[in-house]
Amino acid sequence: MSANEKKTGILGQLHKTFFAKHWPVWLGGIVLGTLNILLFVIKSPWGASGGINNWGENVFGLMGIFGLENVKPLSTSFYGMLCVFLVIGSFIAALLSKEFALRIPPIGELIKGFIGGSLMALGATFGIGCTIGAFFSGMPAMSGGAIIFTIGLFIGVIVALKYLMWEMDKFPGFSSGKSYNLLAGTGKSGIWQKYLGWIVLIITFTVAYLYSDGNKIMSWFIIIGMLMGLISQRSRFCIVKAFRDPFMTGEADGSVGVMAGLMIGLFGFTIIKYFGIGIGDIPLRAREMTWVFPHFLFRALIGGFVFGLGMTIAGGCAVGTLWRVGEGQVKLWASALGFLLISPISKLFIVPPIVAALPPNWDFKNYLPDYLGYPGAFALVTLLILIWYVFVKWNEKTGRFSAY
Amino acid sequence: MEITINETLDCKGLSCPMPMMKLAKTMKGMNADEVLEMIGTDPGTKSDLPRWCNKSGNVLLDESELEGGIFRFIIQKK
Repeated sequence: MSANEKKTGILGQLHKTFFAKHWPVWLGGIVLGTLNILLFVIKSPWGASGGINNWGENVFGLMGIFGLENVKPLSTSFYGMLCVFLVIGSFIAALLSKEFALRIPPIGELIKGFIGGSLMALGATFGIGCTIGAFFSGMPAMSGGAIIFTIGLFIGVIVALKYLMWEMDKFPGFSSGKSYNLLAGTGKSGIWQKYLGWIVLIITFTVAYLYSDGNKIMSWFIIIGMLMGLISQRSRFCIVKAFRDPFMTGEADGSVGVMAGLMIGLFGFTIIKYFGIGIGDIPLRAREMTWVFPHFLFRALIGGFVFGLGMTIAGGCAVGTLWRVGEGQVKLWASALGFLLISPISKLFIVPPIVAALPPNWDFKNYLPDYLGYPGAFALVTLLILIWYVFVKWNEKTGRFSAY
Repeated sequence: MEITINETLDCKGLSCPMPMMKLAKTMKGMNADEVLEMIGTDPGTKSDLPRWCNKSGNVLLDESELEGGIFRFIIQKK
């Protein structure tokens, strides 16, 4: 044991293990995939856009507009609370690693954050799901629509990345200018961040405990949400990174991390659906169809495309936005604001007239085991992940599709 | 050893992906053995940049954290 390790002590070493350095993304993916399975066991899988929509509906409800006065209160919305505690979990992780700071970017970046968040809201409403519900949970749920949503995401990401590169060439001043970095925890004076981190962690467990008397599921949603935020922040888990980086710098680490989470989720979800685990008093068919959304084929494709545009411009997908909010990235505050304000507006006014004009077969639920059986559906999703893996690793080596 | 810095890239206030995009673009325009100083505030750069250097063959000569939560990286183009 080195002199430094002796000085740090056993608990100090444990703290360093979690908070001194970022975790490998694959480790984050595996833990997040596992937590996703736990959510499914106790209720239903991970989702983010529904929770952010609940935030927006509550904001408009408080303002007394759009007839949303009687919307489900945030304190009783499982996914609204999951998203709140995901932000808090990331806040805790950022504090305990002294990485929290209010990072206020140039104005052009704030505008991009808001526009990106708004596009994500529109894409999630039209496509019925976001990068979490319709991808990170949707693929393991063996939804055919999730595969199509993913294709849409890829196209959206590539188009938006081209835009960002064009913007950087033609208008470099747009992402430059005055910025501020406040409350940073550098050096010994930043020790307050660690103390505050422990206080917020204790408050989180207290809130979860207070729910445990009448709403055990909510208690666990609070704890799991907090852990998801903490792990995402430490591992820098971000789905836009997984889609974008192979086409930008050629790196595959972010993609492999997401694939690890998808594979873990696929194993768990298949077992849950196959055996009807956590079925309660609902029919087996309803459990099987969990997170299989009625968006096959074109709603998923267009929704995924718009969402892909939005998350690339914002620099964070649904979960990437939430955990960056927690570590003080003000650009992503603008993105979350755009998402939560535009989501109810899309749901009430923009998407319904478009959907009414579409052919009726645009909102079909495609459950892969209905066509391929469980073994075939499992094999197909695994094969798609494997093809993606081979592509990103080959591209990392050759740089064939990377811009830089 | 004294390091001569040929270019400085200021990414303060920017979040992912802008710092890595600007870094990759700037490095592309530099000559071999030239040295870039990059300063930024996005914690993601602390893990993204060494990984990118590892992949691209560029050398991360030094990294440090300055007052006010500012990260500084010195990279040599290869």
